Amino acid sequence: MDIAIVERGIALIASIIVGATASWQLKNELSTRGLDATATKVLLGLLVIGCFVVFFASINVLGNFAS
Amino acid sequence: MAVESTFGQPSPLLERAAVEARYHNVDALYEETRDMRLFGFILFLLADCVLFSSFIFAYLFLRASAPTWPPVVNGTQIGRLDVAFGALNSIVLFGSGVTMHFALESWKNLKTRAFNVWIVTTTLLGIAFLLGQAHEYTSAPAGLTWSGNAFGATYFTLTGLHGFHVFAGVCYLIVLTIQANRGVYTGSKYFGLTAGTLYWHFVDVIWVLLFVLFYLW
Repeated sequence: MDIAIVERGIALIASIIVGATASWQLKNELSTRGLDATATKVLLGLLVIGCFVVFFASINVLGNFAS
Repeated sequence: MAVESTFGQPSPLLERAAVEARYHNVDALYEETRDMRLFGFILFLLADCVLFSSFIFAYLFLRASAPTWPPVVNGTQIGRLDVAFGALNSIVLFGSGVTMHFALESWKNLKTRAFNVWIVTTTLLGIAFLLGQAHEYTSAPAGLTWSGNAFGATYFTLTGLHGFHVFAGVCYLIVLTIQANRGVYTGSKYFGLTAGTLYWHFVDVIWVLLFVLFYLW
């Protein structure tokens, strides 16, 4: 089996798990107040976006230069 | 601190009162300065943002002014970076952000054992990311060198700068683990852990941008 397919498969599953967990953490943080909580919310939100990026990269929607 | 009563003998009651007063002052000082220190730390992260932004804009400028991208070296166009491995390495780093958040939450809930498990996991994932990055460097496409072309120069500079941040973060996490287990932090005083978590999230978020710029675009 092509090693790239294995890497993409692991990245796909991991991006779903990490993205879901980060979203859940972000949801729990939404009710908290304070400067550190605000910074954490922003950074966790961006982390969730990162998981989406990896998800789409692993299913070849992003970064597909074959053509 | 030896505290003597009016009769010249050490008084346990007075000693205890002195210790409590001392800790009360530390608590008051901590509460007073916590927000200031946090603000200072966020300013540090913003300054780091500016540093990365300057390199990223240099990359964008060089890319926009190049006739082809990736550039052509000795008549051959440099190959694309390995997206599959890049995605895998990225999710390792993002996963470490999640485990770091779990570590902080465990500490807040006074779960020391869970804290240790999560922070060690974070450290190991950080090291795994660095090893992955080293693998990327050694298996870079032909022509992608530090000094050969704009692509190589910006790629190695930006990912190297980020890698240095991850390395510093790993060292920071090790220090935090030692400090936490030596009783430096308590259930209500853990600014170092908060700062460490923010720093680690920041390092993750910078990588989102670098991954898009170098691997996907």
